[in-house]
Amino acid sequence: MIELTGVTKSYNNTIKAVDNVSLTIPKGEIFGFLGPNGAGKTTTIKMITGIIRPNAGQIKINGKDIATETLAAKRQFGYVPDSPDMFLRLKGLEYVSFMADIYEVPQKVRNERILQLAQRFDMTNALGDTIQSYSHGMRQKIMIMGVLVHHPEVWILDEPLTGLDPKSSYTLKEMMREHADSGRTVFFSTHVLEVAEKLCDRVAIINKGQILFCGTFAEMQQHFQSNNSLESLFLELTKHE
Amino acid sequence: MSKIFLLSKIMMKNAGSAWGNKKGSGWKSALLLLAIGIGVLPLMLVGVMFMAGLYDGLALIGQEGALLGLGVALVSLAIFVLGIVYVLSVFYYSQDVEHMLPLPLAPWQILGAKFLVALFYEYLTSFLLFAPLLVTYGVKSGGGVLYYLFALLVYLVVPIFPLVLSALVVMLFMRFTSVGKSKDRFRLIGGLLAIVAAVGFQAVIQRQTSGRMDNIEQMQQMIVNGDNVLLNLVTQLFPASKLAALALIGSDSWSGLGYLASFLLVAAVSVVVFFFAGNRLYFRGVMGISEAMAKRKKVDESAFQKLVRPRSALMAYGLKEWRILWRTPAYLMNCTLSSVLLPVIALIPILSRQDSGEMLASLSARLQGDEAGGISLAVAFAAFLAVAGANSTSVTAITRDGQGFFLNKSLPIPYAKILIAKLMPGIILSVVSMLLLLAEGGWLLQLSPVFVVYCLLIGIPGIIFINLFGIMVDLHLPKLSWSSEQEAVKQNLNPLFTLLASALAGGLAIAGAFVMGASMTVVAVGLFALFAILDLILYRILVTKGPVWMEKIEA
Repeated sequence: MIELTGVTKSYNNTIKAVDNVSLTIPKGEIFGFLGPNGAGKTTTIKMITGIIRPNAGQIKINGKDIATETLAAKRQFGYVPDSPDMFLRLKGLEYVSFMADIYEVPQKVRNERILQLAQRFDMTNALGDTIQSYSHGMRQKIMIMGVLVHHPEVWILDEPLTGLDPKSSYTLKEMMREHADSGRTVFFSTHVLEVAEKLCDRVAIINKGQILFCGTFAEMQQHFQSNNSLESLFLELTKHE
Repeated sequence: MSKIFLLSKIMMKNAGSAWGNKKGSGWKSALLLLAIGIGVLPLMLVGVMFMAGLYDGLALIGQEGALLGLGVALVSLAIFVLGIVYVLSVFYYSQDVEHMLPLPLAPWQILGAKFLVALFYEYLTSFLLFAPLLVTYGVKSGGGVLYYLFALLVYLVVPIFPLVLSALVVMLFMRFTSVGKSKDRFRLIGGLLAIVAAVGFQAVIQRQTSGRMDNIEQMQQMIVNGDNVLLNLVTQLFPASKLAALALIGSDSWSGLGYLASFLLVAAVSVVVFFFAGNRLYFRGVMGISEAMAKRKKVDESAFQKLVRPRSALMAYGLKEWRILWRTPAYLMNCTLSSVLLPVIALIPILSRQDSGEMLASLSARLQGDEAGGISLAVAFAAFLAVAGANSTSVTAITRDGQGFFLNKSLPIPYAKILIAKLMPGIILSVVSMLLLLAEGGWLLQLSPVFVVYCLLIGIPGIIFINLFGIMVDLHLPKLSWSSEQEAVKQNLNPLFTLLASALAGGLAIAGAFVMGASMTVVAVGLFALFAILDLILYRILVTKGPVWMEKIEA
């Protein structure tokens, strides 16, 4: 469960990157976060994950406030950033193992999980190589593995499907569904509206730092009294005045 | 041609400033400028005084022109050596290459732009010594407007030839090491061989010149006689430097203009050669520069178990830093290997003197003597601080993370723990340097066991102090937006702070021991107590304030 109340982030006290955003993402839900480039998606995600501090408002993850119970809140989620070009000099296995150490995953569980994840993402033969030798999609996959190895309650993924091959993309979507169905939370941002339409239980559309809509796709169609696709509704909502 | 300027402008902007983010508050920039000033101004002043002294001496025998000849030749040599580093980082290790390759640009345009960027860095460096030389000479010789005009031209053109030379060396090296899959390793070995060759070369020169460069008169003698290996070599390597000197000396006559024209011609020809060779060599060496070796084989069971063995978060983080330090060529050269190389290189001037035997014997006797024991210990302490200050591991600990730094903030470990983990490799490396220095001392100077124990006692707190100071500097002035690892450690001015701090602390320790005339034991106990307390204070600040500073670093 993720709760944002009145969250605002401004730079130089003038430009509001995120403006008074309130969202509640309950357990058991896949939540899609949509918006044009520069709308405030990544800024919002960075605030949820504790990377940047909001100027105002409160953020709670499974009831833990990221500002006051920082470490407890951080243990609740796993975060996949939008750029996977990190830790390039480490071997895939060293990276996943590093994340397991940071999140204190016991030895027995970690071995099983790593092998299982590697198999699902078709990475078994790449674990011994440095991340630098990986393609973009493989880097994305190793970042996702590093997050899933500690079995976080809440998944926070910034553009997770970019660069994934069809099989890995399918696997990840399947895993997101399983995770939500087991009563936990998935929060992800995307530009791919077809994915959002098919996969998400609810979506929020953000533009210029403000939430324009939050609800199910059916609710959105109802709201606009139209049978249009998510794509045309999205374009309608975010068009420049 | 206009595309070359456009490209070089973009590259320069992309490389960003040499320190911190642009939005850095005013006092930080001011502090940095002050540090540069403290570090650089005395250097320039001493340089100017030395040059003025040389000029006066040489003018007595009507040989003052030799000063210019020598100056231009030495500047050329310095530019050549630095050029190797600049060319490596600008031509090869800057990530923008991969974005330029697909653009519809002719190779010579990319090469030209990169050359201009490297040239720009050279201008900045030669400003320190070459500009003062030209001005000093001008003032002393009462040069007219034409002299300064010539001097400006010479200043702008002198770096071209040596830079072309270093570009050729590097391009050849990169072209012919761009083979096989383990390029990184191959290049590293090549680089190390080059360092060994350079050090060996220096040792030979030292042996040849030792005892002859000790004072100004001897140096004047040497310049006039022209019987010095180093000088001859440098002038042979850069024959055109003579033309520049002659042009400046004759700036009030037609012959000067002729020399200037021929000097410009040499530079122009070298640029043509550069483009000609670059067209053939550059792309073959730079393509696939970021490729890495991959086996794509299943990790066998025992290796797997070893790699996934659980560790505490602190150890895991420290280990991650340690691995990255050793595996990234740029960090390996600047942080890890330098901790081993510095103490070894420090030996050369001592061992390569023809009279090193007697010198060491007398030094050893004096060291062990009671009255000098305290000062000797302070000197040893200053040496440990100096090698710790010259090591940029801790002072780039935050910067090295680059954009990946922000991921740290989403991890469930306290910031203080991250900072301590980041501190560990730097301290370990500095301790290695200290142990090497002590081993050398034990071998050459027959240090007494008591002296060695005292050294360890004061050295460790001193090293911890410098490393704590270094990471605090980096917390305030991190440079996270680099595009190549080389940039993170090389085009970064933060190491200047630790260098200054170590020089200052070491100097104060020596001065203190000297003024008080303290015995060895008093110096040992005093320095230990002082730096242990300082460490404790800095440590408290790091774990309480450090996280706040870290929190403030935002994208």
